Amino acid sequence: MKTAGLSLDQAPPIGVPFAFFLVAPLFAALAGGLLLWQGEAVLVSRWTPVALAVTHLLALGFLTQIMCGALLQMLPVLAGSPVPRVVAIGRATQMLLILGTLSLSAGFRWGGVIWLTTGAGALGLGLTILIVAVGMALWRAQGVRQTVIAMRLALAALTVTALLGLMLVAVLAGGSSLSGFAGWVDLHLGWGLLGWAGILIMGVGYQVVPMFHVTPSYPSWLMRWAAPLAAIGLLAATVLTATGRTDLAIRGMGLSAIIFVVFAAATLDRQHRRERPRLDVTLLYWRSAMLAAMLAALVWLTGGRAELTGVLLLVGVGVGLPSGMLFKIMPFLSWFHLQHRQVAMRRFSVRLPHMQSFIPETQARIQFGVYLVALGLLAAAAAWPGIGLTRPGGLALILASLLQSWLLLQCWSGFRRFRLNLD
Amino acid sequence: MPPIIADAFTQDHHRCDHLLAAVETRLGDSDWSVISTAAETLIDAMNHHFAQEEESLFPALAQVLPMAEQPIDVMRGEHAQMRQLFAELGEAVAIRDQTACQGILETLHFLVQQHNHKEEGVLYPLADNALTGRAAEFATAIADV
Ligand SMILES: [Fe+2]
Ligand SMILES: [Fe+2]
Repeated sequence: MKTAGLSLDQAPPIGVPFAFFLVAPLFAALAGGLLLWQGEAVLVSRWTPVALAVTHLLALGFLTQIMCGALLQMLPVLAGSPVPRVVAIGRATQMLLILGTLSLSAGFRWGGVIWLTTGAGALGLGLTILIVAVGMALWRAQGVRQTVIAMRLALAALTVTALLGLMLVAVLAGGSSLSGFAGWVDLHLGWGLLGWAGILIMGVGYQVVPMFHVTPSYPSWLMRWAAPLAAIGLLAATVLTATGRTDLAIRGMGLSAIIFVVFAAATLDRQHRRERPRLDVTLLYWRSAMLAAMLAALVWLTGGRAELTGVLLLVGVGVGLPSGMLFKIMPFLSWFHLQHRQVAMRRFSVRLPHMQSFIPETQARIQFGVYLVALGLLAAAAAWPGIGLTRPGGLALILASLLQSWLLLQCWSGFRRFRLNLD
Repeated sequence: MPPIIADAFTQDHHRCDHLLAAVETRLGDSDWSVISTAAETLIDAMNHHFAQEEESLFPALAQVLPMAEQPIDVMRGEHAQMRQLFAELGEAVAIRDQTACQGILETLHFLVQQHNHKEEGVLYPLADNALTGRAAEFATAIADV
């Protein structure tokens, strides 16, 4: 019999996901720092060393870090299956992810085989630990079928992304050559952004979009087909790349991209038909992220600048969507752990603060505004290189990230203050 | 097993979701008599739902399936938390504090969602398995409003 999903004790200690969530914004700030420092050089070409460094600071340091923390937190809740030894797994994964990302990015920026290989090694190890632990939990997972399937596919996509990344580093570090190198890089990108991030966003979205704002659920055909088809597109692209048909491989990824556009459109439509009237920051972030995803696909499919697609996906979706989710998830987790403790201690005399008081809405909106400025400036800088908007964009990204960091720390300290009152 | 209990109780969850969203919508018009009525409707609906679970479904389930007792305890604890939020909502409506109402409703909404998620994912399916013969009876009772 399966009563597993019911025990509250299966949720990991709050410190595990929070550690991921609190460190992540610092990586976005670091990426902003590189943009500010290197200026126009970053967005001239996606192949510049510093562009690669910025990309990995955002994709691994920010996006993947938050996704890992969220997975460890959500698996018991959404899929009814806890991650074994979650504290040790969480700490080890995060340490290796942080070290690996910093080392890899340094290796890209300044060269140096030692930095690249150390980074790749640490990332390979950290992600292996995560993939095995989360994979074990997902193996047993029940929960909503489409979400569990999407999570499994996303994890598989992370595995492929990591393997391709290791392969590329081996080629770079070994000084050897790989025919169709650019095609393999595109494949690595596709599996990372469309697979790992995109498919996970879909799987989580199926549940949280209707739940957060009381919207109609996604069409069942979409939930059944979107994630598997996106994975099939990526798989086709992989086979084609491996057999030297790089020109056709793009079409496989095009399929995945179009599916994500359909998902984005469906999401905007659901949210438009929501019953809860408030336009909170989480919703604003969802909207900007879905629009950025659609715009990115448009730019890419019409042969626009790859750097613009990159900014829209990495900053527009990769930074935006997790940011919006954190502003909801962290206050709720804080409140929920406190109320759980209150019940356990029978200390009903202490009145708990409500969710919003952990992160005030007005301040979150200001943060969103600064973020939008950063996104706008960086997108313009990528679209029209040389007009001098990269530095202001980097500066705005630093400000947005530090403001976010400060708000999330406020939430954390508010939680600790009230927990002391309960003890 | 056909998910008779799960479907009926899930539908009632959705009914309560709509009622909570309705209070939030009314909050925008600042007509406090309308807000107060909407809040009362929500609280009545949820109390009806809790009563069906705590007085009828849960005891029946615990009797045939003792291992369900621990999760049921957790559910009761969360019901108590929600009742406390009802009380706070009542107070906030009485003193016409819009910001407090919004905060309480937001908190209530998320507490309800994660609570319902657990019931719909695990407890109701258990009940449908364990209480096959009586499923229709519980389904009728919850739908009777
Ligand atoms: Fe309940
Ligand atoms: Fe219920």
